[in-house]
Amino acid sequence: MEDLFFFDSNCSIGMPMNGGNYAADAAALLSEMDYSGVEKALVRYINTDIAIPYSNAMVAELLKGDTQDRLTGVWTILPSQCHELPEPDEFFGSFKENRIGAITLYPVEHRYVPCRLTLGKLLDAAAERKVPVLLNGFAGKWSELYNFMKEFPELTCIYVERCGKWGSDRNIRPLLENYSGFHFETAGYWVPEGIADLANEYGAERILYGSNFPQYNHGNGMLQLKYSGLSAEKVALIAGKNLENLLKGAQL
Amino acid sequence: MSVWNETNSVAEHCWKHGNPGFPVFDMHGHMGPHYAIYFKRGEAADMVAHLKKAGVAKLAFTHHYALWEPSYRNANVCEICKEFPENLRFYVGINPHYPEIIKEDLAQFDKWRPYVLGIKMLAGYHKVNVTDKSYEYALKFADERGLPVLNHTWGGRGHYNDGPSMLKLVEKYHNAKFFHGHSIFGDYEYAERVVKESAGNSYLELTAVPGENGMIEKFCELVGSEKLIFGTDLPWFDEFQAIGGVVSAKISDEAKRNILHDNVERILGKEW
Repeated sequence: MEDLFFFDSNCSIGMPMNGGNYAADAAALLSEMDYSGVEKALVRYINTDIAIPYSNAMVAELLKGDTQDRLTGVWTILPSQCHELPEPDEFFGSFKENRIGAITLYPVEHRYVPCRLTLGKLLDAAAERKVPVLLNGFAGKWSELYNFMKEFPELTCIYVERCGKWGSDRNIRPLLENYSGFHFETAGYWVPEGIADLANEYGAERILYGSNFPQYNHGNGMLQLKYSGLSAEKVALIAGKNLENLLKGAQL
Repeated sequence: MSVWNETNSVAEHCWKHGNPGFPVFDMHGHMGPHYAIYFKRGEAADMVAHLKKAGVAKLAFTHHYALWEPSYRNANVCEICKEFPENLRFYVGINPHYPEIIKEDLAQFDKWRPYVLGIKMLAGYHKVNVTDKSYEYALKFADERGLPVLNHTWGGRGHYNDGPSMLKLVEKYHNAKFFHGHSIFGDYEYAERVVKESAGNSYLELTAVPGENGMIEKFCELVGSEKLIFGTDLPWFDEFQAIGGVVSAKISDEAKRNILHDNVERILGKEW
């Protein structure tokens, strides 16, 4: 959009195992983003939950199709003890050349306990480097997410709603209140004027626009944010500047 | 050029002004607290303020308590509507476990006009199938008068308000105006059938649909935009989010206008 820079923090690319909506490659995704006026996106591979570790290579490969430098990739981590991923220095050292800017985890689908024993080595390295961690894989398991945040309070993380359309304020607000590095992404948070309430209570810099494309379209959340009742400056932070700042702040 | 920049389009008007340039009718709302969620804007004054910001002229709703709490009566809801006569209309909440209350409330229906519009059934929560005889009195009442009947519906099979059950309902009653809340979410086969195999009195209501990628486009293809009705479940969902989901869908401006305004006017007239 000419008047507002949108950087989507919740977006997937690739062909889903069970069909449905998708953007198979960078060109298809960029075309969808252009339709709605979204400039940039932080992108996961759509089958990350079921195709790790192939998915990490795939997202890097698909990003090569973006010649305009509008897409930034997300890689998925696993417990370090099984040696499915390189050691932290090598892992994070390869982010820049592969245009990766953040990590995520799927402890439910990948069947492990998301704690210091399993992920400590990688997540301590992520916290040290201020690499954003997308929390999209807890599938509404709030007690597990709460335990995770207790174990890793220093993380820079972005909670990505993935448990339906009912506003999760009773669970989200305690996390926003207690962990300064905890950020909230807006896709699926359809609470009337709720974005403004969260921004006013916890700071607009803690809230990030996301679409959850391809399940949702980009446009619905854009209008919701633009008319959230916040000042133009705060809307601009949430629309794109916050994510841009988080990614720039990562030491890669 | 993005959808928001298309010259003189409904989407452009929304982006620039926060409304589509014509009044919106939201035909599926609620009101009051709900045990499962925190609402900051669940009471009438806050809800009406939100409606006005988004250019929503009228909301038709059922109070949560009128559905979940049998001691709370629909007469209370009528009094709330009287405080906002330009903006609020209500459906009589029907609880099939209390047949005497249904009769008592519907006996006051004409007295409650113009604030009352029709009836609302919540079979999935009351755990009584929509085809059960406990609804017959209310359904005949609505059918005789050609009233809107808003049902909570959902996809999947074998439950109280699934596609096959809704189809039986529209096959039986030809005069009531059925608004299938949530459009039998996820069950495209029966969403199409309940419209096409009805006597023309069946509409898909879109609460929870706008924003789902491609779903409005699919419904337009299956049944036509003339059979779609806008709704939000307010105070559950934001009006701008839902309107944004409609106007950013890949459908014509005529279809967007049908969904947000024209269809309701065709059903209920200009004065309601």
